[in-house]
Amino acid sequence: MDETVTAKKKWTDGFRFWSDREDLLGPLFLFPAVVYIVALVGIPFIIAMAYSVTDVTAGNTSLDFVGLQNFQAILKTDQFTQSLRNTIMFTVVSQIIILVLANILALILSTDFRGKWFARFLIMLPWATPIALGTIGWLWLLDSKFSPIDWVLRYLHLLGEPAALLGSGKNLYYLGRLELAKASIIVIYVWRMLPLSAVILMAGLTSIPQDLLDQADVDGAGFWRTLFQIKLPLILPIMSIALLFSLIFTVGDMAVVYVLTRGGPVYYTQILPTWAYLKGIESGALAEGSATALFLFPVLLAVAIMVLRFSRRTEVT
Amino acid sequence: MAVIEIKNLSKHFDKVKAVNGVDLAIPEGELLVILGPSGCGKTTLMRMIAGLEKPTSGVISIGGLDVTELPPRARPIAMVFQSYALYPHMTVFNNIAFPLKAHGKFSKTDIKEKVKWAASILDIEKLLERKPRQLSGGERQRVALGRALVKEPKVLLLDEPLSNLDAKLRASARDSLQRFQRRLGITTIFVTHDQIEALGMGDRIVVMSQGKVMQVGTPQDVYHNSANTFVASFLGSPGMNFIQRDNYLFGFRPEQFVPQEIADRKDDLQLFSFAVTRVEYLGAEQQIYGVVEGSSDEKKVIASLSSETNVRLETGKTYTFAVPQQQLRFFDHETGLRIEPQPL
Repeated sequence: MDETVTAKKKWTDGFRFWSDREDLLGPLFLFPAVVYIVALVGIPFIIAMAYSVTDVTAGNTSLDFVGLQNFQAILKTDQFTQSLRNTIMFTVVSQIIILVLANILALILSTDFRGKWFARFLIMLPWATPIALGTIGWLWLLDSKFSPIDWVLRYLHLLGEPAALLGSGKNLYYLGRLELAKASIIVIYVWRMLPLSAVILMAGLTSIPQDLLDQADVDGAGFWRTLFQIKLPLILPIMSIALLFSLIFTVGDMAVVYVLTRGGPVYYTQILPTWAYLKGIESGALAEGSATALFLFPVLLAVAIMVLRFSRRTEVT
Repeated sequence: MAVIEIKNLSKHFDKVKAVNGVDLAIPEGELLVILGPSGCGKTTLMRMIAGLEKPTSGVISIGGLDVTELPPRARPIAMVFQSYALYPHMTVFNNIAFPLKAHGKFSKTDIKEKVKWAASILDIEKLLERKPRQLSGGERQRVALGRALVKEPKVLLLDEPLSNLDAKLRASARDSLQRFQRRLGITTIFVTHDQIEALGMGDRIVVMSQGKVMQVGTPQDVYHNSANTFVASFLGSPGMNFIQRDNYLFGFRPEQFVPQEIADRKDDLQLFSFAVTRVEYLGAEQQIYGVVEGSSDEKKVIASLSSETNVRLETGKTYTFAVPQQQLRFFDHETGLRIEPQPL
């Protein structure tokens, strides 16, 4: 009797007690995540929704309901429509490029070659770099006077000489010329998101059973037929998830444009997040800033639902 | 004329000799079974015939053409994998049509006709619009066969095609597969570790062990005239009993080892004094475990008897058992190879 009591006491003591109580441990471990999401995502999101339908500004914080006036107002400004166009254009173009390159990269990385672990490590680096620091690195690469890219182009006689392919000027002024600035932003988005997409796709490719690939081989399919009719259809669900991740990261990112061009030249590379920040935080127009930031929310929500449904439906066993 | 000729074929993975100097010639229309325990190299051998593995050395020719260096798609073969490897995102029709589309020289109507032909042979016409996940194991197997046949290969390779079916289905699948092979007359190589499949279906059986061919012959041949102790003990369940004498072994099959009273008296009998240690009842038959007295190593010997036999055998007693002289097999003690009958 005594023995069972001490055994029971030992059992209910300290760590052993806790490690057996799933009903207490579950909520305990979830608690920090819930606090984080509620405090830093949930509350700001609800405040933003509230602000977007009121006339609040940094100078007058009383909330007076104005309906959809803010949305109507921002739609009339050129800066907003330009930002909206840029957001869509940057996102769509970068996602297409990422999809193509990530597939190629994943195919290369999933084959067996010497040093493939080192190659995989290198590929992941852009994703591991803090985005603001990475963008500052690009800022130097694209410097108007000291750009190493220009230096290489000059060395190759493609720039800075009479009749050179890229013009006779000494520099290309990447961020000062509208088209080059837009292209630069897209390049950085691709550079940034490519590793994640490639690694997700690589995981998809390596999960295809070897039997299926051997069967395709025996059935007479060559490289392209195997790629387009076997491999890609089989990783389509996982590809759509990779696309969704990359899409949401790209649409929501403001660091790249903010660090690189601050929306310039003039406001021609402005995107919704940077414009919302400039309008709402720097100029104090909280209501219009919120309306700008929330503008694409319904679209993104719809896209996310569509992609998730699609990936579930096409899932193959 | 041999459709497939394999000469001195080897495949080494680092230090492991998966296939080690195999020679085979397979005549047209034959159903050849490659039988062996797992890890004996039978699947590697088949994958080399298919072109999925590159041989370390040796030559494979199919239909008189040296294919050793050719990729799978350049070989006139088709293969059914153990998992059936149906493309999960395609309908049955598209699965079967895939090799034809990959071939690239068939028109749409040709493809339709050929798929219908394959489907009608295998009785899967009603499944053509389904996806593989909607099919039963037996249906999947037939779809995989249809896909293999549709391009009319010279050689059909089957890698354990029945092992994914449940036990009851397997018997009827053996029958339908064999009849189907006879009807089409297609040269078939069938890899299995199941001796019932091998003995029941093969025109000839290749018994492999540790990368080498142990024996090639008809089912009767390999069972009754096993070339060495490996084949003799691998075939049959349980396998052959061995007893050591001086510098040789002699063996007999458990079903030939019977009490003297019920032995056929016309035969020239070899008598043994058998101490029974255990009687195992297995329904239709019973297995008697024991030791043959006077043998130098006192090894366990098994007798298989019908349960219907009216001889009562009890544990712990000694009986006189008999084996017909012509059923005794003799093997070299060192090499394990079959030798001429020795005086007992």
